[in-house]
Amino acid sequence: MMEAATQTSANRALDAVTVTGLTKVFKSGLTKRAFVAVRDLSLTVKAGEVYGLIGPNGSGKSTTMKVILGLLAPTAGETRIFGRDSKEVTSRSEVGFLPENPYFYKHLTGLETLLFYGRLCGLSGARLKARAAEMLALTDLEDAAGRRVGGFSKGMLQRLGLAQALIHEPRLVVLDEPTAGVDPAGSRKIRDLILSFRERGLTVLVTSHLLEQMQEVCDRVGIMAHGVMVKEGRLEDLIAVENQTELVLENVDEALLGRIREMVAASGDGARVVRTGSPRTTLERLFLESTDEGGKGQK
Amino acid sequence: MTTEMKSGSGFSVSRVWTMAAATVTQLVRMRILVFLVVLSAIVVAAGFLFPVFSAEQQLKMLKYVSFGALQFFSLVLAIVATALLLPKDVEDRTLYTILSKPVPRVEYLLGKFFGVMLLIGGGLLLMDVLLCAVLHLRQSLVLAQELAFLKQGHATAEELAVEAARIEAQGVGWSLQIGVLAVFLKAGVVTALALMISCFASSTLFTVITTFCVCIIGQGQELIREFFFHRTFDAAGEKIASGLFAVLVPDLRLFDVIDQVVAGDEVAGGAALFMTGAGLLYMAGYLVVAHLLFVEKEL
Ligand SMILES: Nc1ncnc2c1ncn2[C@@H]1O[C@H](COP(=O)(O)OP(=O)(O)OP(=O)(O)O)[C@@H](O)[C@H]1O
Ligand SMILES: [Mg+2]
Repeated sequence: MMEAATQTSANRALDAVTVTGLTKVFKSGLTKRAFVAVRDLSLTVKAGEVYGLIGPNGSGKSTTMKVILGLLAPTAGETRIFGRDSKEVTSRSEVGFLPENPYFYKHLTGLETLLFYGRLCGLSGARLKARAAEMLALTDLEDAAGRRVGGFSKGMLQRLGLAQALIHEPRLVVLDEPTAGVDPAGSRKIRDLILSFRERGLTVLVTSHLLEQMQEVCDRVGIMAHGVMVKEGRLEDLIAVENQTELVLENVDEALLGRIREMVAASGDGARVVRTGSPRTTLERLFLESTDEGGKGQK
Repeated sequence: MTTEMKSGSGFSVSRVWTMAAATVTQLVRMRILVFLVVLSAIVVAAGFLFPVFSAEQQLKMLKYVSFGALQFFSLVLAIVATALLLPKDVEDRTLYTILSKPVPRVEYLLGKFFGVMLLIGGGLLLMDVLLCAVLHLRQSLVLAQELAFLKQGHATAEELAVEAARIEAQGVGWSLQIGVLAVFLKAGVVTALALMISCFASSTLFTVITTFCVCIIGQGQELIREFFFHRTFDAAGEKIASGLFAVLVPDLRLFDVIDQVVAGDEVAGGAALFMTGAGLLYMAGYLVVAHLLFVEKEL
């Protein structure tokens, strides 16, 4: 009995985020009419995985994140980060948060903003300076380091938000629409960044409406609608069409294609060619190639 | 790791300082110092404006106008700057990124409070130095003129000494500093009050207007207590009602030593001490209530 209890608490500590039975009700303004934004939501983000939360506008993704970060109090249920209740300030020491449409003190410069957030996380001296410079480089904001945040474009604010979230090297990163308002090159860079987090063993909880990108980075996804989790699981399991295989060929003539078709038909066992044609380049790739931003990003 | 844990939990003076410094930077870059320069110019001008009055009157007028400028500067900052800070952070969602760092809400509030106080204190110090310089200069000038005039009229040495003492009493002295302290304490009480109101107000305008009204009531507190409560309650009821009233609305007449200082009267040490104690008590009280309101606040 005792052993079982310690076992579960140890497991809990291993999980980066646990949400159990979370319900959040907003009482709006004067009328005090109740609105249920999140209803009995439970989810677990294991340490080291990239978890994607997707769903239509107003489905409660951001609300869930704010409760996890302790910015909103849950109406019912609880949320934990690395086993510590979100109501405790210490639960926030190892998490970096990028809220949706982040905004900062507009009278500070980009660099000052990062120094400010670094200090709030307990960094100081040479280490703080080094981290801030590193983050500016990582988010391509070096040119804007000396400019006031008031003059930043939307995408720049978004990248500054990312830099601010990462400044103290958190073990968990919570990103609310990190690519909103960011151009395709920057957006791809953020995707690569998330992939590099996964390689380094960081845990990521991310929301986005760019499903193609989510598909590329997420280990597991949860789909929310109207405040309820409607589907959750490993991405591969959710999207794989299990009885189909893709074969992409280059420089083949009609004759070869014909022979392949014949071979498939001859093999029997119900095997058949579903479709042939040229794979389409994605709009994203087309944009990147024609604006040449992708090439620069790659170098 | 352990040090990080430590900095994550418990109270951190350096985080409060970081918040306060950011607040000062923000306010300074809003060009608030222009306001300080204008008011300082008034102090200097007042030194040379009133040649038609008697020597003693001239110095009194200088002090009167200067203390007016000092109070105007500190109260406007206390109300308007403070009212700007919190609702703006909520509106701009800057609060999301700050409070998602391991920053206890009490540190955020104290940082804002000390930031405003630092700015008011710095401004008052500058104006105090300026006032002392102008007053000293003006006094020696007036004294020399007056004595020369009296000597022409063949006044006795005794008469000269009396006149010199009268003029010197209007000069730079400890009571002048106590007057400046009173201005600072009053601003502190109003700042704490404005901060408390902005914790439940949803807009800057509401905070400004409410704080302003409370200040006016606070200035006439004694009057209201005598006039209103004396008639409606019996002796015991009056005591309770006026006690309650004194808790809700700060008794700003506490800081009326300013009038004495302008008049050139000595301020008793005990009175100064009482004023300081009561001022600090008011500030602490409002800050505690502000904190209680703020920890519960939904962002
Ligand atoms: N402070 C608030 N007061 C009242 N209602 C709120 C508040 N915050 C969010 N809501 C409501 O809760 C619901 C969920 O909002 P939330 O921001 O979590 O959606 P979301 O999934 O992040 O949507 P999006 O994709 O547009 O960002 C919405 O209907 C919203 O109107
Ligand atoms: Mg959202």
